[in-house]
Amino acid sequence: MHDWEEVARRELDDLRLDTRDREEIVSELADHLEDVYERARERGLSELEAFRQCEEQLGEVSQVARRIERSKFKEGAMNHRTKTLWLPGLVTLTMSSVLLMISQLVSEHTGLVPSKLVSSENARALAFYLPWLITLPFSGAAGAYFSRRGGGKRLNTVAAAVFPAIIMLAVLCLIVPIGTFLERNTFIIHHLSYFAIAIAIWAVVPGTALFLGAVPFLPRKIEPS
Amino acid sequence: MPEPIHPKIARGSAAIAILALLEEQPLYGFEIAKRIEERTDGVLRFTMASLYPMLYELEKRGVLKAHWQTNPAGRDRRYYALTPAGRKELAPLRREWQAFFVALDRVAAFRHA
Repeated sequence: MHDWEEVARRELDDLRLDTRDREEIVSELADHLEDVYERARERGLSELEAFRQCEEQLGEVSQVARRIERSKFKEGAMNHRTKTLWLPGLVTLTMSSVLLMISQLVSEHTGLVPSKLVSSENARALAFYLPWLITLPFSGAAGAYFSRRGGGKRLNTVAAAVFPAIIMLAVLCLIVPIGTFLERNTFIIHHLSYFAIAIAIWAVVPGTALFLGAVPFLPRKIEPS
Repeated sequence: MPEPIHPKIARGSAAIAILALLEEQPLYGFEIAKRIEERTDGVLRFTMASLYPMLYELEKRGVLKAHWQTNPAGRDRRYYALTPAGRKELAPLRREWQAFFVALDRVAAFRHA
């Protein structure tokens, strides 16, 4: 007995559809394959021959997928990208920014941070940075959830989840050419280790925390049977 | 075995074949393909790649409506039924095709070929 649903799902995995639509199509195509198989068996074909007939149809599933995208869901790549990347990315960015603001306010205006820590600049930074870091997986999870719900593939889901880290990385990377060539400030060129630390603190570490939150929402790859 | 129809011709006739069949009763995808193949003695054949995108397109246009139904054997199937808009579309489509065949016959005289 062949699991046609699994086969169809594997073929349609990359289809730019939301999960519900995809599952509906998977069930329908699996049902069709099952019928092709049964009909072939009724005609007296052997299991292998019947399976071969299904295989011929199977080769068409990916074609079906592309045509379905064009016929049923003519939304355009931009619209799909908005649903699976830009909007979820904006959710992650907004949430992480608000949480950063809250962390700063809480660390400065409450007695939660010991006074001897607040006296040092680095410790003050850590006092809001660490709590913010702890909240980041939730922001990443929110972005990944919305991306997945919009039918986002693995790459889009990850990108939406780590969106704030990507933005920070892009901004930091712009600092070097802008500082060096526009402002003619060579400080950063002579202190590249500062730059590396800034990237680690504001892009790599937050990006990792955001990614951790996205992990439960990542689409699983189905192995061929 | 009948000669296969050129895909472009088959594609053009697909919509009317599906709509005409569904005028009689709601059917699911495989059954639609099977009946069309049987009634045309295999001249018109639908593959998965040609049938489902066409069904979804017709559904999107509001000409068909789909619903899941469990058959007596306990299998869930997606049945397609003609909507009132689909019935309205079918009549002029039939006339169009009829006019097309008459016109083509005058030129190509395929009845005497």
